Amino acid sequence: MFGSFSLLFIAALVSLAFHRTIWLKPVALVATAGALFLTYSGSTIGLSGFENSGAVRLFTMILEIVLLALLLHEEEDQTMTQTLFVGAASIALLQAHTLLTFIIAFEAVSIISFVLVSHIKTAAQAEGAVKMFIAGAIATGILLLGTALYLIGGGKLGAPIALQTSSLSTAGLFVMLLGLFYKLTIVPMHGWAADTYALVRHSHAAILTGLAKTVVAVAMFRLFAPFLAEHLAMTVPMMVILSVITMTLGNFLALFQKRIARILAYSSIAHAGYMLLAFAAVKSGYASTGLLYMAIAYIFMQSAVFLLLDTLRKRYDIQTLEEIKGLAKHNRGLAFFFTAQLFSLAGIPLLAGFMGKAIVFYAGVDAGLWPVVLIALLNSALSVGYYAWIIKHLYFDEASTVHETFKEKSPLVAQGILLAGTLYFGIFASIVFAVGKSL
Amino acid sequence: MSPLFFIFGPILLAAIVALYGKKQHAFVKYAALALFGWMLIYSLDLLTILPETGYLDLGTYLAVERFDFALTLQVDHLSVVMLILTSLLLILVALSSWTMKWPSSYFALLILFAGPITGVFMSTDLLWFFIFWELTLVPMYFLVGIWGAEGRIYAAVKFFLYTHVASMLILLAFFLIYKETGTMDMTLVRESMLASPVLIWWLLFIGFAVKMPIFPFHTWLPDAHVQAPAPISVLLAGVLLKMGAYAMIRMVVLMMPEHSAQFAWVILTLGLITLFYAGFMALYETHLKKMVAYSSISHMGLVTVAIATLSYSGLSAALYEMIGHALIISPLFLIAGFLHHKTGSWQMGDMGGLMQKAPYLSALFVLAGLAALGLPGTMGFVGELTILIAAIKSYGFWLIVIALGSMIGAGYIIWTFRRVIYGEISETVKKSDFRMDRVEFAALIAFAVLIVLFGLFPSALFDVINSAFSSLAPQGGL
Repeated sequence: MFGSFSLLFIAALVSLAFHRTIWLKPVALVATAGALFLTYSGSTIGLSGFENSGAVRLFTMILEIVLLALLLHEEEDQTMTQTLFVGAASIALLQAHTLLTFIIAFEAVSIISFVLVSHIKTAAQAEGAVKMFIAGAIATGILLLGTALYLIGGGKLGAPIALQTSSLSTAGLFVMLLGLFYKLTIVPMHGWAADTYALVRHSHAAILTGLAKTVVAVAMFRLFAPFLAEHLAMTVPMMVILSVITMTLGNFLALFQKRIARILAYSSIAHAGYMLLAFAAVKSGYASTGLLYMAIAYIFMQSAVFLLLDTLRKRYDIQTLEEIKGLAKHNRGLAFFFTAQLFSLAGIPLLAGFMGKAIVFYAGVDAGLWPVVLIALLNSALSVGYYAWIIKHLYFDEASTVHETFKEKSPLVAQGILLAGTLYFGIFASIVFAVGKSL
Repeated sequence: MSPLFFIFGPILLAAIVALYGKKQHAFVKYAALALFGWMLIYSLDLLTILPETGYLDLGTYLAVERFDFALTLQVDHLSVVMLILTSLLLILVALSSWTMKWPSSYFALLILFAGPITGVFMSTDLLWFFIFWELTLVPMYFLVGIWGAEGRIYAAVKFFLYTHVASMLILLAFFLIYKETGTMDMTLVRESMLASPVLIWWLLFIGFAVKMPIFPFHTWLPDAHVQAPAPISVLLAGVLLKMGAYAMIRMVVLMMPEHSAQFAWVILTLGLITLFYAGFMALYETHLKKMVAYSSISHMGLVTVAIATLSYSGLSAALYEMIGHALIISPLFLIAGFLHHKTGSWQMGDMGGLMQKAPYLSALFVLAGLAALGLPGTMGFVGELTILIAAIKSYGFWLIVIALGSMIGAGYIIWTFRRVIYGEISETVKKSDFRMDRVEFAALIAFAVLIVLFGLFPSALFDVINSAFSSLAPQGGL
């Protein structure tokens, strides 16, 4: 009964007592490490409606490792508490096995994200937060509409999604998917994402895009995949079209951005498109492994780049490509971390991002969708354009201002953890394949 | 010695050098030399233990269940020849880079390049092959982008994007092959590939044609070649393009023979166009290094024609020409880069009369140039002659047109001599100081010796090369 979920939840409540003391960070870190250990030894939530599996266990452990990195990086007390809350809610969402528990856990993650971005200090942050809140409210509305249709059609809340449903229920489930796509930033439900990711504090964006989005994608796949595989005639065209539009638009818009955060925000939208390809290829035996791999890779690299942006903005007030020029001259460490994670996002091998994409794309080929995979591959090549462009600014250009070398320990340790994950899963694939099917 | 050492070892060594080599310039250079030397010894050693035909198994690592994905390392004569060529060139490139600025980062990247390139020639798992193939781009991107000439950034980004797009086609082809055959091992897929879709052949052909490069997929190369620092141009021409040709032979011709026979006319036509188009471009160029770059592409057109014969003698000739081209074009690039470094100009019009100022350097340039146009007694002659014979044997007498390509070659090379080496001494040359670092000069000498040595005694090389394709025709070699 007492597992990683309860531990993180209690730690989040207890952490309130440690605000404005030096003990907050150690307590949060110890709690997360404890949760990691509990997950490793196989703890589950143990309530009805939740179910664990090998894949969920692996992903939960990775989530907790990323939480450690996020906490190490963080300096604000409130954010640390909310990081713990997000972690607990994410574990619940990952293990959710019925529609009811899924919706509750999903809303919990959403509400904590709203609280997270509501630490508003500037007008820009307010804009980002409000956009996210309105989009989130619409998403919830659509999700509930879908649920209502599903229930009217004879579906049950307290059970996994039925494979054979009445046409009304089927329609309801697809409406629900549309609601969830707001969180996944699938075009045309993406409008809020680029602004929010770029405008709110970058360490918050790291949680929103790196953590929450990935968890939602994995949980969604877990709950909906059996149903989607039964309705291929509907699933394949819908997912293929949305996936292609999302990745293409995301990549093209990223090409034209000047602010680094916006480039990475659009790249995050493009990645949602790649993830959706796994949904389209749901009939392939590799789809679940592919999605899991993609999620693992993505949570490491996306959290890492936004945490780096946070450091750059806080310490050097760097926001645009113009300002980041020549960073590698005086900050070899930061530039190296940034470059490695960008290469991973671009899909350069021996980094997790490549393996994630490769397996999702293979699932696509396996499901007979090779023309879509070709589009995805060309998109991925296009994306190298803007990633390589950032790297070009880091290394090839002369610096306009000289920044002193960044020497703070804990953000660098956090980056080290995230890079270790990106490297490990870039080379050693068998651990994911061993559990991938059980998602 | 585990072959993994030569694949992942350089990546670790590069990290160490990058982190701790900032002040230890001599150590960094010797570490690189030692590694490349060891690679050369290791690959020569492999040559002695290779079986007559077929592969030598070097082990399987990092196997993944449920997905036929494992780092399977196997080598045959073809791959070992490529490994020897690569490690030899890496040594000479390291020597020619002796006075490069920011040596620790430069040599770290050079070392980093050695790992994946070894992996490309050793791995027979398609996905791992792809991983190494792609990974070679990363050090190249930085080497061109940081140490290159004025237009380096444009060239580096273009090179990276262009070849990356091509790689995507290759990856799709590999996925389709895996779906067709259920295996990723390129030594096993051949049998089950006979009835595979034509699409796979086209994806692979275009993907590798970009790397070789074959017209009309060549446009990234002149930029990259011209902007790269001279030793990196050597690496591009001598290793990266050869990687494309190696993959073309191994995966297009040998792995999909039926399809290749069906589309041999495509390879032949594009090869001939490349040969002549690049030749005419070289004739037209007044930019010294661009002239060398186009001459390099023109020679790769010749290799493509040889590959198009799909015959035992043709492929052997192609492999010989690949080695010859690597050794001949390298000193031309190095000298062109050196002249630019000293005179500050790329234009042949600004030079002239170099012989009076730097006779030894000029002599080396003339030797390499004559080898490029196919002077008997050098590797260029043997390569062109064997290709000509093989092509005529396969396609008939009209392929004597290849000789016209050589004539164009003679045209631009001799005209270049007239403009750069001989003629009246120009103001720029008069002002410049052409003293060269001793180590860098030694590398040039080594190239010259090899060109002549294998030109006079081609049989030494052909003995090894012929074994690479012995499975194709047991009746004997050239």
